[in-house]
Amino acid sequence: MDDNIVKATEEERLQERLSQLAISATGFLFDPQTGQSYTLNRTGVLALECLRRGSSIERAADCLCQEYDVTPEVALSSVEAFVLQLRRYL
Amino acid sequence: MRKPSNKSWQHWNIAVTGINARVESPGPGCAVARCIREHEQFGGRVIGLGYDVLDAGLYARDFCHSGYLLPYPSAGEDALLDRIIEIHQKEGLDVIIPCLDSEIQNFIRLQDRLSLMGIRMLIPERDQFQLRAKDHLSAFCKKAGVDVPETKCVTDPSFFEYCEEEGWPYPIIVKGIFYDAQIVYNAFDAKAAFSRLVGTWGYPALVQRVIRGDEFNVSAIGDGEGGMMGTVMMRKRGLTDKGKAWAGVTVVDDAVGGVVTKIMRALKWRGPLEVEMMKGLDGNVYLIEINPRFPAWIYLSHSVGRNLPIAVLKLLAGDTDITFAPPAPGTFFIRYAQELIVRLDEFESVFVGGAITSKEDKTAVA
Repeated sequence: MDDNIVKATEEERLQERLSQLAISATGFLFDPQTGQSYTLNRTGVLALECLRRGSSIERAADCLCQEYDVTPEVALSSVEAFVLQLRRYL
Repeated sequence: MRKPSNKSWQHWNIAVTGINARVESPGPGCAVARCIREHEQFGGRVIGLGYDVLDAGLYARDFCHSGYLLPYPSAGEDALLDRIIEIHQKEGLDVIIPCLDSEIQNFIRLQDRLSLMGIRMLIPERDQFQLRAKDHLSAFCKKAGVDVPETKCVTDPSFFEYCEEEGWPYPIIVKGIFYDAQIVYNAFDAKAAFSRLVGTWGYPALVQRVIRGDEFNVSAIGDGEGGMMGTVMMRKRGLTDKGKAWAGVTVVDDAVGGVVTKIMRALKWRGPLEVEMMKGLDGNVYLIEINPRFPAWIYLSHSVGRNLPIAVLKLLAGDTDITFAPPAPGTFFIRYAQELIVRLDEFESVFVGGAITSKEDKTAVA
C-alpha cells in the first residue's frame, strides 16, 4: 500500500481514538475501549485538547507557546514526543 | 404435571446455584441473587442452592431468603431431581438459574421434567453446550471464523519434555478439561500442573499458546436463534492468583463486540453466558473460553442499567420487549471480602438438615 495512504489511515485511526477518550479538567484520562486510565499534566491536557479538535502537531505546539513561556522548538518537540506516547498507548 | 404459576415475574420464587463466595474464585450465584434482590420491581423470593455447608449464600440474608444443600453434580441428575422435588414442595419454585459449569449438563437433562413441575430455566440445548466445551472450541471457532489460540489435547506428560522441539515453546498454558488453567514456563512446572489438573478434572489436559495482549470479558443473554441482548463488556484491572478478576471496568470495543456477535450467531446460544477473549498485540481478537452461565462479576450489569439476571426472568415470563440502558464504559468494580456472621443454630440447620430459612421468613414458606 502507498505510504501516504498508510499514514493517512493511521492518522484517521488516531483521531478516532482521541475522540473516544474521556478527559476531565484535572487531567484524568479514561480510555473507554481498553479500560486504561492515565493522568496528564496541564500542558498535556492543553495539547490533547488541541489534537482532539483536529489540530496538527504544529498547531498544538503554537497553542502551548501562546499559553506558556516556551520556545517554538521546545514546544514542537514536546508535542511530537507526546503524540508518539499516545500512539503507543492508543 | 403442574402448570407454571400465573404470578408475574416480580413475585416469582427464584432458585440460584453457585452461591459459594471463596475469595480467590467465587461462584456467580451470590452476584446473580444480588442483581435480582436489588431490582426495584422484584418482590419475590430468592432461594440459594449450595453444595457445601460453608457456601456463604446459604446464610447471606441480603441475597437469599432461604438456602438448601444440593447433592454434588457427580451424584448425577436423578439425585439432583429428587432434591429439587423436595425443595420445590417447600418453596414452590418458579425458576432455577444454574450458575456453575459442572451442573449445567444435569440441568439440561432435567429440563423437560422440571418444566412439567412448572419450573422454568433459560439454558442451552445439549448440542450448543457441547460445541463450546474446551476440547471442541478450536473446531467451533474454525467453523465460525473466529481466531482462537492454538490448542492441543495432551494425555502423556512426557509431551512437556519435547514440546519445544515440536513447536510449542514455553511459556504455554495448561488447562483442565472442564476448569482451571495455569501458565507454565518449563517442563517441571508443566508436568506438575498437568498432574494436578488431570487429577482434579480427568483426562485429557489441554495446552494452549499464550497470547500477549489485553483480556476482555463479555456477558450477554442468547435468544437461542443466533441473537443476543444486554451485552456488558468488561476489562479486568486486577487479578487473583487464579487469574480471576478482583477489579474490572466496563469498556466498549467494537472489534471485541463483533467477535461476540459472530460467536452467538454460530452458536445459537440460549441463556446467559460469558465470553472470555484476548485482544492480541497483533490487533486480532482471540476467543479463550465460553462459559455457559453468568460470570461472578455480573453485579456490574445491574450497576450499568443492564440487569441481565432480571432480563432472564422477563424472557422466561414471555416479555421479549426488554430495554437496556446504553453501554456505559468507565464503571469500575472492586471485589472485596468480608466476614458473614453465622449463628450456631443456623450452621446446625444446614449441617444437619441441609436447609435454612430465616425466622422472619418461615411464615412465607409455610
